[in-house]
Amino acid sequence: MIHFSKYKLLTVLVFVGLLSSCKKEFLELNPPTSLTPDQALGTEADLLVALRGAYAGLRGVDFYGRTIPILGDIMADNSYQHSLNTNRYTLYNNYTFNTTDGNALGIWNTGYTVILRANNVINAPVPTSAKVDQYKGEAYAVRALAYFTLIRYFARPYTDNPAGLGVPISLTYNADAKPPRSTVAEVYALILDDLTKAYALMTTFTNSSQFSKYAARALQAKVYLTMGDKTNAKTAALDVINNGGFTSLTAANHATYWASGLIRTDKLETLFEVSSDAVANLAFDALSYIYSQAGNYGDLVVSDDFYATFDAADIRKALYPVVPRPANPPGAAIPTVNKYPVITGDYSDTKVLRLSEMYLIAAEASLPASEPDALTYINYITTRRSAPAIASTGTQLLEDVLAERRRELAFEGDRYMDLMRLKRDVVRSTNYPAAARNIPYSNFRRILPIPQTELDANENIRTQQNPGF
Amino acid sequence: MRKVVLLLMAILLSISHIWAQQRTITGKVTDDKGAPIPGASVIVKGSNTGTSTAADGTFSISVPPKAKALIFSAIGLGEKEITITDNSTYAVTLSTKTGDMTEVVVVAYSTSKKTDLTGAVSTVKAVDIENKPFSSIDKTLQGQVAGVQSVAGSGQPGANQAILIRGVSSITAATGPLWVLDGVPINTGDASRLQTTANLLSTLNPNDVESITVLKDAASQSIYGSRAANGVILVTTKKGRAGKTVFRFDTELGMSDLAYENSRYRPLNASEYFAITTEGLVNLGATQTQINNTLSGLGFGNGVDYNWYEAVTRTGTQQQYNLSAQGGNERTTFYLSGGHFIQEGTTINSELKRYSGNIRLTHKPNDKLNLNFNLNGGAVNQRAPLAGGAFGNPVLSSYFLLPSRSAYNPDGSYNFTSLGGLHNTVALSEIDKRFLRETSLRGSISGDYKILNNLTFRTAYGADYNILEEDQYNNPLHGDGAASNGRAFAYYTRYYNWVWTNTLNYIQDLTKNGDLNLNAQLGYESQKSSAYLTSVQSQDFPPTLILTYPSAGARPTTAQATISEYSFSSMFGSAILNYKNRYVASGSIRRDGSSRFGANNKYGAFWSAGVSWNVDKENFMQAIEFISQLKLRASYGVNGNAGIGNYEWLPLYGYGNNYNQLPGSAPSNVGDSNLTWELNKPLNIGIDVSFLKNRINITADWYQRQSEDLLLNVPLSRTTGFASATRNIGFMENKGVELTINAIPVKGQNFNWIVDFNFAHNKNRIRTLPGGNDIPDGNFIIREGVAYRTFYLRTYAGVDPANGDPLWYTDPSHTATTSTYPPAATRELAGNALPKYFGSLTNTLNFKQFSLEAQLYYNFGNYVYDTWGGYYLGAGFGATFNKVSRIMDRWQKAGDVTDIPKYIYNGNKSFQSGSTFWLNKGDFIRLRNIQLGYTLPKDFLSKIKLTNAFFYVRGTNLWTWVKDENLPFDPEQGTTSASNLNVFIPKTVSVGLNLAF
Repeated sequence: MIHFSKYKLLTVLVFVGLLSSCKKEFLELNPPTSLTPDQALGTEADLLVALRGAYAGLRGVDFYGRTIPILGDIMADNSYQHSLNTNRYTLYNNYTFNTTDGNALGIWNTGYTVILRANNVINAPVPTSAKVDQYKGEAYAVRALAYFTLIRYFARPYTDNPAGLGVPISLTYNADAKPPRSTVAEVYALILDDLTKAYALMTTFTNSSQFSKYAARALQAKVYLTMGDKTNAKTAALDVINNGGFTSLTAANHATYWASGLIRTDKLETLFEVSSDAVANLAFDALSYIYSQAGNYGDLVVSDDFYATFDAADIRKALYPVVPRPANPPGAAIPTVNKYPVITGDYSDTKVLRLSEMYLIAAEASLPASEPDALTYINYITTRRSAPAIASTGTQLLEDVLAERRRELAFEGDRYMDLMRLKRDVVRSTNYPAAARNIPYSNFRRILPIPQTELDANENIRTQQNPGF
Repeated sequence: MRKVVLLLMAILLSISHIWAQQRTITGKVTDDKGAPIPGASVIVKGSNTGTSTAADGTFSISVPPKAKALIFSAIGLGEKEITITDNSTYAVTLSTKTGDMTEVVVVAYSTSKKTDLTGAVSTVKAVDIENKPFSSIDKTLQGQVAGVQSVAGSGQPGANQAILIRGVSSITAATGPLWVLDGVPINTGDASRLQTTANLLSTLNPNDVESITVLKDAASQSIYGSRAANGVILVTTKKGRAGKTVFRFDTELGMSDLAYENSRYRPLNASEYFAITTEGLVNLGATQTQINNTLSGLGFGNGVDYNWYEAVTRTGTQQQYNLSAQGGNERTTFYLSGGHFIQEGTTINSELKRYSGNIRLTHKPNDKLNLNFNLNGGAVNQRAPLAGGAFGNPVLSSYFLLPSRSAYNPDGSYNFTSLGGLHNTVALSEIDKRFLRETSLRGSISGDYKILNNLTFRTAYGADYNILEEDQYNNPLHGDGAASNGRAFAYYTRYYNWVWTNTLNYIQDLTKNGDLNLNAQLGYESQKSSAYLTSVQSQDFPPTLILTYPSAGARPTTAQATISEYSFSSMFGSAILNYKNRYVASGSIRRDGSSRFGANNKYGAFWSAGVSWNVDKENFMQAIEFISQLKLRASYGVNGNAGIGNYEWLPLYGYGNNYNQLPGSAPSNVGDSNLTWELNKPLNIGIDVSFLKNRINITADWYQRQSEDLLLNVPLSRTTGFASATRNIGFMENKGVELTINAIPVKGQNFNWIVDFNFAHNKNRIRTLPGGNDIPDGNFIIREGVAYRTFYLRTYAGVDPANGDPLWYTDPSHTATTSTYPPAATRELAGNALPKYFGSLTNTLNFKQFSLEAQLYYNFGNYVYDTWGGYYLGAGFGATFNKVSRIMDRWQKAGDVTDIPKYIYNGNKSFQSGSTFWLNKGDFIRLRNIQLGYTLPKDFLSKIKLTNAFFYVRGTNLWTWVKDENLPFDPEQGTTSASNLNVFIPKTVSVGLNLAF
């Protein structure tokens, strides 16, 4: 019935041959711009690249890129949202944020993303060397900064109740982990331990945008002060002042210091800052863009009562020009923030730790034990800012030190953290909405909600939402 | 190996064969009305021997003695098979739209008689695709096929179109069908990277398409294996027919405007805005000084009252021209065409131009060998504005920009300064650039060789090549480029996809009397798609508006190039057993391997089985006159969905997390070595029945699709450093019914009335999820026992008449309310984004030379979310942005009963936050198409040497009914059913002319 010619038979045979010719390699295609974790963390040089990734994470818009330094002032009494605005941070200006808040979720996400990046550097099985120690030391410091940021925004302060709920601790990568919240004390213990390791491992100062031995120590001073451990805070701050090799900002170089968007290698003032460079920056979403009146936003401006605390001769006053907002003429002239003026090219960086703060910590930590020490350290700052010298005593001296701290560190995200660790109410001027002028320490919105997204994905944290949310 | 095959082809080409004992058959082909059809194709079944009819519809053809049937077809008409008897003369009628069982339809890797089908297959003919004011064929599918939902998200010409066939079966992986153009699975969708929306299919001229076949069930789809789960759409381009060369010229000119506007959402004018803003400042407790300062900052009293909505919307024009020629002889046929299509959107800065060409050649060196070549090319220039919350989006500016801010200064120059932080989109549409140039070449070359009379080998190499060049320029003076002193982007994207398919077809009578037939196929296919992507960006431009390319920028900020690839390697087989044309059984199997899947799960097997019973062929049915056709079908099988990222299974570290312009790396993907396709198991039961000599044709299908091992982005605890990981987990089900009715209530010499109706109902349910946990999905919830894309929102309870506060319910029974948003009741299920019922009703009337066609598209039972409503209707939230007229319904004094709260500058108690207030019913009926046409009489045409001339006037989307008076935007807002300030959907009025000569 069927007669095959040899050609026909060959056709069929070739076809059958085709069926079995599928090569395995044809289906093995590698991604062009990524590596497997083994490939990416194999050598000393790889660790440096992965470490930079951790620093780059700090620059996220809802971390040190913008939101963290913003919240520290707008949730307090330094900056307020002008009535002509682009709707950014309205809910923080008004104290109406909820569990689905985008900025709160952003802080949480970015914090733990940075922690994963740091964890992977810390845990990478690379043979030890001086450079590996330096990189791992920096990673410990980055991780400590991330936890220190999270614990202060998502939990009540250590000075309130160390046994209270803190934030979950993640030290190794496990995609399926669903950790509950650790206690505040456990998180602070981890932060201090990380900073001790960072201090011991690091030997090199690279530049102001990377952690160094004394930048880690400076962070530790701030952590101790936040915990209310004045003895250790003072010791750590003085270690930085005396042994760090950093030089102080003076009245002469104050203006040029703040005008620059560049990272520093001269060890002037900046202990650690998060860098925004000419390519990797947040553009419209940059910290400078929401303060500067030179761009399109300039939404957040200086509260009148805070501006009034500056002495006429205080050189810091120049950082707050009184101008009409150019995007909305012909409005009235008001004090605005010009601490981060660079909104093109190499954008202004976010200052995280400065040598001046070490003097402020030393001054505050000297009280009430040693008022002369406190006056020495605080007037070290006032003299360099052409501000009136402080000569008060007792509780007034503490208030004066805190007021000086407010003036020096304004718009660097510090003020609200001070009011939190001191368990003080937020009392704001009439620049703020009537319903949000007095925020008692007891108000549930004094800390952020654990994001709904985390509660949804992690059943072990679901019952641990902050009360009130 | 490929060389061997080429050699083989050369050998095959050298073999020729001779047939003897031919006989001649003659006849005439006419249409429904008895008019002769010139140029109709006549082909001897099972061969490539054919001819075409003369101008008077007559034909003459030599057929071999073994020939059993002739197949007749003509463009725009059905195909018909006539069994050859002892007669040598036949009169054949081809009708425009009938569900004739002898019709031949394109199916996977082949064609099939409708009699042989066991599955659910629907076909759309050229006449319903051609000359429409739509930029791509996927847009023409709306309402044409029961169970195929084709939804626009944007009125941008060239916008991507979402297609869902029998519901949505995947949560994370792709939900759109596999498109197969002339046998080649092609890359489709939006491949652009700078445009807000684009569509690879927009480079394909719908006028080059002969038919579209939609494969909806296992029996028809499963041979496409791991990519069949969302359905398969087979597109067949036009080919030449032997006979006189026929030229065709088609043109259409039209104007478009907004299809839907709601007067309750008119942006306020200056006096209305300042009145309500003053009220809001008073309600805020502001002092008179603060009120005055704020108002003056907002431009109060500057005498400007500019209408941004009028400024950014416009009447768009639209035109298309298509010219084609086709013809040939028994050995060689050709089809050539060229087309030009221009469409402007209803918003400034929105347009598309296409130039396209198509060539198809077939040649038969001898009766054993058939060669085919086709190449389809299209070039599109598209300009699309930004969408959503971008300040450069003209639609956003029409709702957000204050009427006190004009686009122009008093001296006529553009206003760049006093815009309240927003952008002057009127100026930017002139100055800034956002272009896409998209060029596609799609083609294939194939050869069929008859090894034996009943055994055919076919090899086909097909490819599609898409190039996208995108340019964007943001000027240094104003807008998105101001912060970087001007910036420009140039992106180049290239997709090259090739497919090599080899099949053996075997047809055999299994019994001596020919009652039992086998039609079997065995195939091998390999495919690889490679994308090549480069991105350039620079900034710091010279202070001019003329230099717009990145080379002019002083500071390069992006210099990237990368690739992205996937490959498939597959074997497949299928068989159809037919007993006396009464009982048909079909089966298919395919083994797919893909680069996209984990090392532990690279290969999978997929299969289907189907049966059908042509009841009308039974002896006992011959007595029942009024039933002309009756067929029962059932099929079941397993296929897959491989539509995820190319490297999803690999745990990865990505680069580009740079710091101080030095390289930085970070974990970028969780990965899973077990990752593989999700399984789709469709069960289909259908019936085709025709009454009264096919005057009434009904097709009804019931189906159930179970999707298992869903490719799901499982949310992770964010403390891991990742948001989600793709895993094979979860189970979802779609069940539904489809009904298609075609009826000819009146069929006369001068008057015909044809009714086409289709209906689809789909019910989706998520059966299992990892750990049974809910997965929040924006405004939706992914929850066991609930349909996918179900809105999940706090329930708005209206306004407290006493004080104007917004209220939300705190309990599921909706008895208690609160004015404090966070402690308000947890969110509740609040309706679905996808319709419960949809379909269309088309009436076609033919009276002598006149024709009238009207298609109503209906869509019921879904909801649409107003994404940006909080800003323009948020009771004072976004106080510095304009508001819409519905805000005038706000609460003003104690006792007012309304649903808009008291207006407080900067917002009233989170009213703007997500709630059911922002959810509107999506039910609509739309006059999708209405067309009145006139065909010139044949005797007149012959005098002016034309074979056909047809004039028409058409309206598209002319009338829309919506159920919800508060629906702010067009009811068509994509499959997520959330408005995003896109280019408005157009309605179009056009006039057209079709000529053939």
